Amino acid sequence: MLRFWGLFLLFFGVLWAQAPKDPYIGSQACRGCHLVQTQDFFRNAHTKADRGCEGCHGPGRAHVNSGGKKEAIIAFSALSPQKSLDNCLQCHSKDMSRANIRRSSHTQSEVVCANCHSIHKSATPKHLLAHQQKDLCYTCHTDVKAQFSMPFKHRVNEGTVQCSDCHNPHGAPASNWRMGQRPRMQQHAQSNEQSCVQCHADKRGPFLFEHAALRVDGCNSCHAPHGSANPRLLNRPVVFTLCLECHNGAAGFGRTGEGIPTQPGSHNMADPRYQNCTTCHVKIHGSNADAKFLR
Amino acid sequence: MRPLLLLCALIFTAGLSAQPVVAPTPQRAGDAKGEDLAGYNIVNSFESGYRFRAVDGNLGKFRSDVNFGNGIRLLGSHLTVHSKKPGTGKYFDEIVLSTQGLGNDPYQFSSLRVSKAKLYRYDGTWRLMDYFNPALTIANGQHLINTTRQLQDHDIVILPQNRFRFLLGYSRNQQDGPAFSTLQFPDGRGDEFTYLLNVRRTRNEFRLGTEFEVLKTKFHVLHGWEYFRDDTRAPLFSPGAGANPNDTSTLTRFRRDEPNHGQAPYWRVGLHNEAFKSFTVDARFTNTTGQRNFVFDELALGTGRFSSAQNRQVFVGGNARRPVTTGNVTLSWFPLERLTITNHTALYNTRMEGEGTYGEVNNAVAGLRLLHFQYLGIRTFANLTDANLKINRWLGLFSGYHFSERRIGSSQFEDFEAPARLDRTEQTNRLHSGLLGVRLQPVKQLRFSVDGELGRADRPFYTISEKDYHTVAARAQWKTKRWNLLSKFQTNYNLNSTSLFVHSARTRVASIDGTWSPRGSVTLEAGYGHTHIETVTGLAYFSLGELVENDRSFYRSRLRQTRLGAQINVNKRADIYLGYHRIQDAARLGIALMDQAFPLTYETPLARFSIQLHKKMRWNLGWQYYNYKEKLLTLQDYNAHTGYTSLSWSF
Repeated sequence: MLRFWGLFLLFFGVLWAQAPKDPYIGSQACRGCHLVQTQDFFRNAHTKADRGCEGCHGPGRAHVNSGGKKEAIIAFSALSPQKSLDNCLQCHSKDMSRANIRRSSHTQSEVVCANCHSIHKSATPKHLLAHQQKDLCYTCHTDVKAQFSMPFKHRVNEGTVQCSDCHNPHGAPASNWRMGQRPRMQQHAQSNEQSCVQCHADKRGPFLFEHAALRVDGCNSCHAPHGSANPRLLNRPVVFTLCLECHNGAAGFGRTGEGIPTQPGSHNMADPRYQNCTTCHVKIHGSNADAKFLR
Repeated sequence: MRPLLLLCALIFTAGLSAQPVVAPTPQRAGDAKGEDLAGYNIVNSFESGYRFRAVDGNLGKFRSDVNFGNGIRLLGSHLTVHSKKPGTGKYFDEIVLSTQGLGNDPYQFSSLRVSKAKLYRYDGTWRLMDYFNPALTIANGQHLINTTRQLQDHDIVILPQNRFRFLLGYSRNQQDGPAFSTLQFPDGRGDEFTYLLNVRRTRNEFRLGTEFEVLKTKFHVLHGWEYFRDDTRAPLFSPGAGANPNDTSTLTRFRRDEPNHGQAPYWRVGLHNEAFKSFTVDARFTNTTGQRNFVFDELALGTGRFSSAQNRQVFVGGNARRPVTTGNVTLSWFPLERLTITNHTALYNTRMEGEGTYGEVNNAVAGLRLLHFQYLGIRTFANLTDANLKINRWLGLFSGYHFSERRIGSSQFEDFEAPARLDRTEQTNRLHSGLLGVRLQPVKQLRFSVDGELGRADRPFYTISEKDYHTVAARAQWKTKRWNLLSKFQTNYNLNSTSLFVHSARTRVASIDGTWSPRGSVTLEAGYGHTHIETVTGLAYFSLGELVENDRSFYRSRLRQTRLGAQINVNKRADIYLGYHRIQDAARLGIALMDQAFPLTYETPLARFSIQLHKKMRWNLGWQYYNYKEKLLTLQDYNAHTGYTSLSWSF
């Protein structure tokens, strides 16, 4: 009888020893070595994640048993950009703003989540960015930083306008106010409209007489939104050359294909009076009272 | 110790990048770990002080560019309250509040988040911008604007971690203040007169929606209502003489009311499906019905060119509509672990239509009366396919083919003269473009990427639209714990020409930037970049009564940017920051009317000192100098000293 019970215990003892243990070990075990990362983690939005640290880093038992081997756990610093993106999207894909992240210019250049977001050392409690937003974007977009140093600009450096007010760093749907997907990464207002009209709602219309340039090629046809030498952020320092570059009657362009109309003979361009077109065409974005935008 | 040093270096680098505005101080008072109270951990820092300025030169231009003034401010504040054990707070688990410039700064900002795990999350932002613009190069100051814009956004998510979530939101955008505008009197050939405007525009948006998951598909449904009111008025005004001394017409009385109210209710539906491991689907559909109702009433009294009394009243009424429907579907396929293929299809359909009656009474005699109707319809279809392949650890490729087709139809009805006229036109533009890029990472610290895009459109709408274009971009980055060097080059070229007409635009951007942290307490940075823009466009215009058809518009910009910065931390108590930023457009001023450039120099050196007086208090001092010079209109030049002294404290 004793032999039977002995064999019985031995059999189930071996089975128990060989049974797969729960690969998850719990966040408490992480504290032993990763005190800096864990002690203030209660402030982090990811504290709400299921399984705590292992929600992002995967099961930790093998990592603990191996004495802290990096290969035994998901270490984001060792992941390829693609894998890093996949890991974050397991939870964060449900947000509509990230629907185009896999085809975004950032992803194509291998700028993925961890390049901008810092989960453990974030400079901003909201969105867990590694630095303040403008500083992050300026790190790579140095030409844009130069544009925001121009005399006339949106107030990004001053802190009241943010890059993400107009751009979607996670990728955007095709910009249908122009052709194809240029400009890329631009935040869309309500219905694939340019983000400009979110703030400049008076330019949105609809108007009885629309300046077609706004609707066909977008605000960038005339404006340089990052910065300009012109008080109205125009692409040219003065108004008349900007207008004349389209209103030159060149065949093949415009609504009828007969060219965009030139100004009438009464407009003597040698006279400074006629060089500020918007002095008379004041409602240049669209008018409800005049087809030539005079009132 | 090394991670701590690295963390310090990262923080200092962030401080460096904050140029060119000197205040608020990036360093915060108090312990970063915060203090525990009643189950919560609280971290806070408030900075208040006095800001001053001294301007020499054009004050209006300074206000338009910088606009900081004198006075006491709450320059910045930061407060976080977190429950020590997530989910255990009675009413909230988290409060995050940040403010900037409250008191009287021209740029004020506050952001608030309050949340309780599994129950709700509230996010709100409030922004205020004082906007002053003399517009000297636009209309010689006749279009001056001095308004304030307030923006608010509030969003609440109920049950944020549940499979069924509810979304509520409200946004408000308000612009108020005086401005000038111009009108012609007594007719389209008359003199220009400046008149006063009281700008008052309001946009309110309400949102209600839900997010839920069914059969491994996540849905997002949102309904919004946007209301817009433009009640800008020109009160009864006596402008007097016009802008042109040779024109003898006068405007003695003027008044204009043009209320314009509208709404734009919209639907937005999105879905995300990842039921299959190697395939995901994202889609978004929107529909907006925009409408504006307007009336316009204008009264103008004065004298005409021959000193005869003139009076004119214009009255217009009508409405304009613009429904927009869009659809976007993105399919992502992962046939291999190293390969991602995405296809994006977009459809955009809109039509703008409206009708209005125009009436005009001249010298008490009913004159012009006509009915306008206009229609502009745009339908765009786009299909974009992109592939991203990681061949091995050091080599990656990406490519794409993009096609889009846009059809524009328009019609216009006028009964200006008999018989009434209805013009209808239609056109289609097709764009094909290809994209190819290579990424290289020969060693862990070094990354290269080069990409190019080539596009061809067959019927661009405008002479400056993209037709035959290409872009090339290259980027190299060397990044270690102490060094970060980045260089970039990009060129864009577009040629849009027909037989006799040409538009050519070329942009070249190149930059090199570096940050060096030899020790945790010292960080140095330097950068140089240039942006060259050259455009040539065929022109036709009238000059001295003759049509000039063979002229060209030249525009050149040679933008050069230099920046230097040094951040030094002394004994973990004091921080010193020295920075210099200069931007220059070095293009030569043109000699002909259509030869355009805008040479200018704008430099802003700054210095900031911050010292810890007590565990919970810091004293800050900063100075920034602005020097603006231009060659086109030198009366806009100015130089200004701005600065501040403040205390940052924590309780």
